[in-house]
Amino acid sequence: MPSPAKIPPLISALAGALGVSGYLILLLHVEEQLAIALLLAGGAVAVLVGVRFGIGTRVTGLAGDHENALNLSAVLVVLIVTGFFYEDHFVLLLVATVIIFVIACLGLNLQFGYSGVLNFAGAAFFGIGCYTAAVMTKNTDVPHLVILVAGGVIAAAVGSLLLLPVLRTTSHYSAVITIAFGLLFKIFLEVNDTLGGPQGLRVDGMNVFGWEFNDNIEIGDSFEASFYVNYIVVGLILLALAFAFVRRVERSWIGLNLDAVRLDETAAASFGLNITRWKITAFTLGNFLTGLAGALFAMMLGYIAPTNFTFGDSLILVSIILLGGIGNPWGLVVATTILIVVPEKLQAIQEYRFLLFSAMVILILLFRPQGLLPRPLRTYLPGWQPK
Amino acid sequence: MDFGLFSQYVMNGLMLGMMYALVAVGFTLFFGVMDIINFSHGDVLTVGAFTGLATYLGLTAVGVESPWLVLGATIVVSVSLMALMGALIARTLVLPLKNAPPLNTLLITLMLGTVLHESVRLFYPKGANPQRFPSLLPTDAYTLGNFTLRIDSLILLAAGLAVIVGIHLLINRTKLGLAIRAVAQDEDTAKTMGINFTLIVLVTFAIGSGLAAFAGILHGLYYSEINFAMGLLLGVIGFSSAIVGGLGNIYGAIIGGFLFAALQTLGVVAMPFPSAYKDVFAFGVIILIMAWRPTGLIREKISQRV
Amino acid sequence: MSKFRLTHLVAVTAAAMVIGLATAPADAKTTVKVGFIGPLSGGTSSNGLGGRNSADLAVRLRNADSKAKYSYELLVQDDECKPNIGVQVATKIAANKDVIAAATHYCSAVAISTVDVYHKFGLPIIVWGAVLPDITYGNTYKEVHRVNGTMINQNETAAKFMRGLGYKTWAIIHDTTDYGKGHDKYFTQNLEANGGKILGRFGVTSDQQDFLAELTKVKSLNPDVLYFGGLTPIGVRIRAQMEKLGVKAQFQGTSGIVSDTFIEGSGPLAEGVVAFREGAPTEKLPGGKFFLAEYGKQGYKEPPEAYGAFAFTAMSLILDTIEAVGPDRKKVRNALNKVTGSNAADSITGKVDFDDHGQNTIAVITKYVAQDGKWTVWEDSDYSAGKRMLKGK
Repeated sequence: MPSPAKIPPLISALAGALGVSGYLILLLHVEEQLAIALLLAGGAVAVLVGVRFGIGTRVTGLAGDHENALNLSAVLVVLIVTGFFYEDHFVLLLVATVIIFVIACLGLNLQFGYSGVLNFAGAAFFGIGCYTAAVMTKNTDVPHLVILVAGGVIAAAVGSLLLLPVLRTTSHYSAVITIAFGLLFKIFLEVNDTLGGPQGLRVDGMNVFGWEFNDNIEIGDSFEASFYVNYIVVGLILLALAFAFVRRVERSWIGLNLDAVRLDETAAASFGLNITRWKITAFTLGNFLTGLAGALFAMMLGYIAPTNFTFGDSLILVSIILLGGIGNPWGLVVATTILIVVPEKLQAIQEYRFLLFSAMVILILLFRPQGLLPRPLRTYLPGWQPK
Repeated sequence: MDFGLFSQYVMNGLMLGMMYALVAVGFTLFFGVMDIINFSHGDVLTVGAFTGLATYLGLTAVGVESPWLVLGATIVVSVSLMALMGALIARTLVLPLKNAPPLNTLLITLMLGTVLHESVRLFYPKGANPQRFPSLLPTDAYTLGNFTLRIDSLILLAAGLAVIVGIHLLINRTKLGLAIRAVAQDEDTAKTMGINFTLIVLVTFAIGSGLAAFAGILHGLYYSEINFAMGLLLGVIGFSSAIVGGLGNIYGAIIGGFLFAALQTLGVVAMPFPSAYKDVFAFGVIILIMAWRPTGLIREKISQRV
Repeated sequence: MSKFRLTHLVAVTAAAMVIGLATAPADAKTTVKVGFIGPLSGGTSSNGLGGRNSADLAVRLRNADSKAKYSYELLVQDDECKPNIGVQVATKIAANKDVIAAATHYCSAVAISTVDVYHKFGLPIIVWGAVLPDITYGNTYKEVHRVNGTMINQNETAAKFMRGLGYKTWAIIHDTTDYGKGHDKYFTQNLEANGGKILGRFGVTSDQQDFLAELTKVKSLNPDVLYFGGLTPIGVRIRAQMEKLGVKAQFQGTSGIVSDTFIEGSGPLAEGVVAFREGAPTEKLPGGKFFLAEYGKQGYKEPPEAYGAFAFTAMSLILDTIEAVGPDRKKVRNALNKVTGSNAADSITGKVDFDDHGQNTIAVITKYVAQDGKWTVWEDSDYSAGKRMLKGK
């Protein structure tokens, strides 16, 4: 059998896409709890076996070298899964939720992975995006695509209020400031009636150029696809943009600066890097992405309330980043999928989900702090090998 | 505002301040000794309160009657168990991560806190509901005009103050306290002087967690109720108070605790918005204070090796 | 084939085999799925669990009936009494094409947010415990029905009754959800129409811990009665903290505190608390004795609580309708809308007669007083006989 390096990347990508899609379709389709548990166990075993036999590093190396093929196969997986489940509202809701959360976590990842500012108020900024969408869809005529961007901008703007305290304090102090802000946000929403109070707000569905997103897609008389497909498509486009953006930033000199700041502030400062400017950049950009994701989420759900954005939810976002491997966007994708899909399918653990996630993070921090897919060494150009 | 009403507010504020101060002192002890932030502290408080409740239920089930005996046993059992748990946390989670970035310790203790309160919620019978905490103290009250002074509130306040004074004496007048201060100041030198670093860390965590358990029981006695989520807000408030007072400084922590309570009471009394905003107000002010004095009101000198 | 691929293939095949084997042989009757949503965890869980058990009872009795055309499966979801969780689980149930109808919600704050979801997915529902009028009257959705009463009548009776006892001044504490605000609105209307005076009004959050600030202000106002528009968890706290501060007013609650959890949580402080609820107490309902007997036979851990009978009625009506028109959402919805006037249905709670908004009319309002650790009907209590006195009398 030819070694993996010799198979044209496109073929590997397609094969990988089909394999992963097949597994996901099976997982999402099956209802019986026992079968789901077996599938999950099977998947975990397969991965462990792969890692043991060194396949794991070869696959990740390959993926790192042929990033375009990887992107293509990821998009294929989403399209295949969506196509298979075109009528099933709930599965598509899950897929859309995963996509949106990946965008939000990319934002947090930018803040933490690249500049060391750990934001424990991720759910609060997500919530700012949601509430912006709610208020703007109800009260203004601004086109909904612009509202998405507005969600991000307002989240970034509110985040900038925190900038002064965050910048002036060192790592764990600034973490506490974000924790305090997260709590403050939820309490503020609950007592404030103009933003709906504890009852929350209704959000209009998205409507782009007359295409009403909350109506099922009907082609002819017999074909009716769930309206969630609309959101998946938009989410995928946004995700692709966000992903490309994050990758570009990582590869550019901005990314280099952010890395330097994260690794050692004092050293970076002595090299003449303006730490403040880079921290501000990372923090603001991160909040923008999170807010953007929030705006889309609100329009999809149609209803938001303060209890969507508790401290526990922020902790879930942080767990995703830690599980996935700090600084690695692909790790994020895997981690988000696991943390969102598994509790939904395994009803038995639904109640225990916070407990299990926390225990899992503790284990990761003790035994594998780099996460599932630790960030590989900086590559300047895909496929570049030192001579 | 009439004097009776004013005194009532002051009394409420003092009680709150004392609970916050007890939690803040714990945070400060942990930070002083190991330069880490232990975010499971608030949830240790919760577990302490539930342990106390369970002890009470157990004792009444076997027929023990005398309220003072039950109260004493509840406090002793809860404090000692939490002290043990604190030492265990130090042993298994904090010490192994000594050389990791401090953020990891923050995270791991935060997650541990979540594990703790979720365990209470899931495994304590009807844990998700608020639980009635028995009134073990005499409930007579003196009324002067608009001001009602209940004996039990007075006892709680006195007890809290006694504990704080006790901690102060422990840290400043005993050999153990000397060892703790030495380790807090400079770990390597302390080791050279023959101080058993690991032991001191375990003892400090035990003391801090015992304090949390005591604060938890105080909270239960004061509000006649405990619930699994009580630790989160108390933990964050206690921590913010400790920071405002300057991490590592016990007096700062106590001042910070009372300051936070004062802010909350001020928010209720003097501000025109509804009382529910008091937490928003207090947190907002804390964030501002941290922006102005990042290392706390009582300045901390940091030096870092590059 | 590499070891990686081989293991993967084996795993998938094994899973497929298990799935194949796990498919049970088809039943003689088709299985129809129905849903139940209520607060199964959190401070109001006793009502949710009571409702769930009652709905489950209805399904079991139907499945034990050999004349039934279909066999029924109950899908239960927990809304945790939080609006956003409610929307999530409502979406789950409603988006599931196999679920034909559902009995939903005890918490008004949740019910008012989920009506849009049910309408969006076309799932016919019957509310069994939420009392906010807007749930049925705030929209024209054909899918939404309700078998229990609304808070309008409750507060009307409450105002008249308390004024009748001679109380003159009130302070109101209500939670800031639509539920609490609704109670505030309707009670204020009715009280002022009956000549009562409201000295102060305070809004509190539904998970607030510390009420000393509000209660200190209440104390300075010195009202005869403290009216509480909210649910059990904070009701318990307010009652306890009232004692701490020495607030001597009579405590008056709504259907939100008529639960065993309130009495358990307040202990001796519950004595003499007054509350009101629509519908007769379970034992006095037309089918009450039958319901309680059957409920006891099944051996559920939790009691049916105040609204269990309504949950039973809601689920029975759903099952009857499915038997009549078949497992189709639109047909069930249309049939439910026809349950009116001469076509009213019989149930253990009396006649079910939906008006043009899907609301059932419940004439009876029960007045309760907590006596010796139980919610006792006022007319049967020592208080009405004069043997014990409420506060301030």
